[in-house]
Amino acid sequence: MSKSSQRSPFGWSNRGGQVTVIEAPVARSYRRRAVIAFWVTLGVVGLLAAMVASEYLHPILGGLLGVVLGAVLGAVVFALIVAWPVLRVFWHWLPEIVFGLAVVYGWTTLMESTPLWGSLLIVALVVGVPAAIAPVRRRVMAWIWCLIVRHRLRLCFAAFIATNRHGSLPLILLARPTPAGERVWVWLRPGLSLRDLEQDDQVQKLAVACWANEVRVMRAGRKYAALIRIDITRREPLAHTVVSPLPDYVPRDVPANAPTSPGMPPVGLDLPDVPDVPVSAPTDTPRQRKPRNPTTPTASPNGFDPSDYA
Amino acid sequence: MDLTDTIELPPQPDAPQTVPVGAGLSIFDPVFLGIDEFGHPAYLPMIYRNILIGGEPGAGKSSLLNTIVGHAALCPDVRLCLLDGKQVELGLWKDAADVFVGPDMDHAIRTLRRVQTVMDNRYSFLLARRRRKIGPNDLFGQILVACDEIAYFSATAGDKKDQDLFAALLRDIVARGRAVGIIVAAATQRPSSDIIPPSLRDLFAWRFAGRCTNDVSSDIVLGHGWYARGFSSNSIDPNNQGEGYLIAEGGIPNRVKAAYMTDADIIRVADYATWTRRRSGLAAPADLRTAA
Ligand SMILES: Nc1ncnc2c1ncn2[C@@H]1O[C@H](COP(=O)(O)OP(=O)(O)OP(=O)(O)O)[C@@H](O)[C@H]1O
Ligand SMILES: [Mg+2]
Repeated sequence: MSKSSQRSPFGWSNRGGQVTVIEAPVARSYRRRAVIAFWVTLGVVGLLAAMVASEYLHPILGGLLGVVLGAVLGAVVFALIVAWPVLRVFWHWLPEIVFGLAVVYGWTTLMESTPLWGSLLIVALVVGVPAAIAPVRRRVMAWIWCLIVRHRLRLCFAAFIATNRHGSLPLILLARPTPAGERVWVWLRPGLSLRDLEQDDQVQKLAVACWANEVRVMRAGRKYAALIRIDITRREPLAHTVVSPLPDYVPRDVPANAPTSPGMPPVGLDLPDVPDVPVSAPTDTPRQRKPRNPTTPTASPNGFDPSDYA
Repeated sequence: MDLTDTIELPPQPDAPQTVPVGAGLSIFDPVFLGIDEFGHPAYLPMIYRNILIGGEPGAGKSSLLNTIVGHAALCPDVRLCLLDGKQVELGLWKDAADVFVGPDMDHAIRTLRRVQTVMDNRYSFLLARRRRKIGPNDLFGQILVACDEIAYFSATAGDKKDQDLFAALLRDIVARGRAVGIIVAAATQRPSSDIIPPSLRDLFAWRFAGRCTNDVSSDIVLGHGWYARGFSSNSIDPNNQGEGYLIAEGGIPNRVKAAYMTDADIIRVADYATWTRRRSGLAAPADLRTAA
């Protein structure tokens, strides 16, 4: 069987009619974590519940109740952790899901409460007015870009930013629109550092993935090395000329006292006016010698000169 | 927001007809440099600092230098010492300046020697007063040494000995001038090691990189490693002169668009500065200076 035939159109590996939603190593690691979490929950909750329950019941009954309670809670935690890779996807797409639900439910309630032309009118107003007013439209677009960028960055982190052993990715925190594009704060998990994002053209790859012009990464503050800021540029907000305020400090009624020197006659301003003088080698110029240290390259092809950073 | 808006400044009291009053600026105030990507004004505190400006020809280096010189010219207690291998870039401030050096290597070295002597005298004086640095409204004012086209003095004009001497003097002034109010602002196109010694370049705390022709050049101006983090002034639109990366407070390059003064603006400010300075005795009239 060829490899491609194992793949369903959705990119899930499809073996023996079963659809693998979570890849095997990830699932295994999550299952191990879930088992540990189950036993820890069982122990802690069971002990606590048993102690509390034995205040009211016979100690043996209380102990049994504690174990049952602990097992139930542990099972819930187990299920949550095992399903977390899937739940996480829902969490990541929560704004879109909420928005989609709001649109669907909004539309149906609107259709029920008003006649067709009324609901069409309301929809036209709700959509048309922000679309017509440029600042509102730009704001909305900026927020949409923020949502998009969070997904794109997540994709990049999963695809080519090195992760730690557990496969946990950097945590994408807030995204905010800026005049030039977006600014995203990211919390790095253990095993990562700013260096990982800086090394060999990672930022250029990020820019490509974010459909942006440029991406810049830097620390977000002096306090936490893990908190970094990613600036994504997709617009040029600095295209206009900025007028200097210095002339405003000058009062209006200043006497013009600029002396334009009349002493300079317009001579020698063109090539024929300047004689062709032979180059006389000055006697004291040092002879052109071969460099003593031939290992130092004068200039490498890309213009990089190591002595610039010496 | 409309980025072309001029930043509003407090209204200036009307100057009386006869006695010129200074513009009320101080070099202890940060210089208004332009706006950043967020439309916020970008300020550059120049006191106790030095700045290196780099970028390809036509990147807007001289315009930025003019903004800094213009601010200093309007400060009543700042003396200007201008070196400009191209003459016209800072030449409009000639009458307001104490010293204006054109493409004249000897004059440049003599001037830097003078500044160096002043610096030494100031340190001796401070030591005698058991102080370590100057403050606002001190006994003596500040000196702005602005040098456009350093490459002319440090790599083109004169012979190797003079060029090295120039670089050494400038390095000394950058290294030691801070605490006695001697501020250096220098511009050159590509401050690579064959133009100015890296030991001099690395002394400049603040950097402005206008558009550069490649990422390595940008790193040379801003400092090694910024390109890897996505800060390369090579990505600036060549037609957007005056935009560049500024490293100032915070230490992280900030994309800014420098404010621009037209020649008419510069002449207006320079004439006013000359007028107020002559009255207050800060700048000698040009004829006296050339005779000396
Ligand atoms: N901040 C600015 N805003 C708008 N235009 C600017 C700005 N700065 C410079 N320019 C334009 O760019 C032109 C070149 O600027 P400038 O002379 O400062 O370049 P430069 O970097 O000093 O060039 P060179 O290396 O040749 O001396 C100016 O004549 C002006 O028209
Ligand atoms: Mg210039």
